Amino acid sequence: MKDSKKPIENETHVVQDFQTIEASPSFRGLMRKKKRFLIPSTILFLGLYILFPLIISYSDVLNASFIGDISWSWVYALGLFIMTWILVTIYMKKAAEFDRLAEATLKEFNYKEENNL
Amino acid sequence: MNPIVISLFLFIVAITLVITYFAAKKTNTASEFYTAGGGLTGWQNGLAIAGDYLSAASFLGIAGAIALYGFDGFLFSIGYLVAYLVVLFIVAEPLRNLGKYTLADMINSRFNAKKVRAGAALSSITIVIFYMIAQLVGAGALIQLLFDIPYWIAVLLVGIMMTIYVLFGGMTATSWVQIIKAVLLMAGTVIISFLVLMKFNFNIFDMFTFMKTATPHGADYLNPGVKYTMPLDTLSLMIALVLGTAGLPHILMRFFTVRDAKTARSSVMWATWIVGIFYVMTIFLGFGAAAFVGQDLIVSTNPAGNMAAPLLAQALGGDLLMSFVSAVAFATILAVVAGLVLSGASAFAHDIYGQIIKKGKVTDREQMLAARYASVGVAAFSIILALFAQSLNVAFLVSLAFCIAASANLPVIVYTIFWKKFNTTGAISAMVTGLVSAIVLVSISPSVMNPVEGAAIFTGNPIFPLTNPALVSVPLGFIGGWLGTLLSKESNEKKYAEVKVKANTGGFRQL
Repeated sequence: MKDSKKPIENETHVVQDFQTIEASPSFRGLMRKKKRFLIPSTILFLGLYILFPLIISYSDVLNASFIGDISWSWVYALGLFIMTWILVTIYMKKAAEFDRLAEATLKEFNYKEENNL
Repeated sequence: MNPIVISLFLFIVAITLVITYFAAKKTNTASEFYTAGGGLTGWQNGLAIAGDYLSAASFLGIAGAIALYGFDGFLFSIGYLVAYLVVLFIVAEPLRNLGKYTLADMINSRFNAKKVRAGAALSSITIVIFYMIAQLVGAGALIQLLFDIPYWIAVLLVGIMMTIYVLFGGMTATSWVQIIKAVLLMAGTVIISFLVLMKFNFNIFDMFTFMKTATPHGADYLNPGVKYTMPLDTLSLMIALVLGTAGLPHILMRFFTVRDAKTARSSVMWATWIVGIFYVMTIFLGFGAAAFVGQDLIVSTNPAGNMAAPLLAQALGGDLLMSFVSAVAFATILAVVAGLVLSGASAFAHDIYGQIIKKGKVTDREQMLAARYASVGVAAFSIILALFAQSLNVAFLVSLAFCIAASANLPVIVYTIFWKKFNTTGAISAMVTGLVSAIVLVSISPSVMNPVEGAAIFTGNPIFPLTNPALVSVPLGFIGGWLGTLLSKESNEKKYAEVKVKANTGGFRQL
């Protein structure tokens, strides 16, 4: 965090060949795992979210009663809240695995935090 | 003005000044000024994000909107919460891994071009100014109502307080003001919700049944469609809400206050729970206000419904609770505007002065000095604008800020992280197209042009039909970036490999 006493001539990471890391099987594996989770879940949550204003604008089906005077619109809306919390929780679990893979990749290329400028 | 209000009000001012005093001692370098030295923990930053995000527009505005329009008011709550998934999945971690102080840092980690930095700084400043005027105008009107003092004194008061926090305490003071505000706001909301539910013997079904007959809207109150009747308008608003958050400079800046991507991630998790629970409770605030205050009194006190929550507090808990809620509203305003000043100042002092004019060759002292001058400048400029903007509709300024954030900032962020071919021309054209289309479309929309005289800034038929242009301007931002990229032959795969590795591993970053 303090960027004062780091030696300026330390340029280990500047000459670092990022294309080699990017092409390495371990980094590719990390990206594949990330994509496999992030792409479907982003499509899912944005889809369910955008569908909601469309349904309530163009149809009355969600006005039907769920229990008593609580209609399905409220159930859908709160469902989006629960969806958010569930996806956040799942992501936190997945991300722990991403962290492990990322660390492994960095280790493979002899990266040390101290080399940061 | 009753003595309880004054003492609670002074109490909040005193606490925040004590915080600022201690924070000032810890604010000696530019990094400490902009990011509190990157030393916040996940829960601290999570609370601070909630404190930064739950503005008076959220607390007072949504409670009022639900009180007046029932289900339609709750749409805001949904959009504002789901937006955090965009922040978490797409923006937070790469931003922390690639940037140092500002959004422009992150985009420039790939392009290293002054024009790109200038574009990002410009859109950040534009968003901050619009958002800030909205907050200050809202704050002025609110404090005028709560404490019965003239509008201009109210604006000056808030303006001076926010300048003190930022000027002396930098990000440390700002963060702690936001954390304390978030705790106070949650406490106030829980108390009111509890009292509302108690009136219904904690039976949610009874509450809904009661609401069916509690307002002039009858059973429609519980269904969508009371306020938003144009499908495309509703859709457009929802898009701005969900995509805008991930481009708001004062929210993005919060991710630089933690040490790494892992902590950035856990702070979003904390924020999502806090913000989500708060938004669920907006139902009780809104329903309670409609049931126990009544729409007539809410509208006659403030036509936009902004006084619904304080009036509800009065109805349920008398002067004491009303005073507490007013004090919380005041703390809310202070926390949000302080965050805004700081993010505007960082765009000026770090991006424009430090990186563009001085080409990065500034000492830490010069950087600090510039940041402080910029804070005063941003604060003074927005106070002056707010004094003249008293009659402006606040809701439209906030929706404009969200729309610019979604149209100008989000496309360039997404392309920078995910698109190999994306280049300098693409980055500039994405930002310019998004920014210009959002501003132009809003200025010819029903928010600015209304056939009814006095209802908007100009009298006349709107040229563009949507109140919020996100449905058009966000795709335009993406198309602008795509076309710009294709029109230029430049491409740097080596640099993209570097950005990709840094963004996804958290290694090799500038500390």
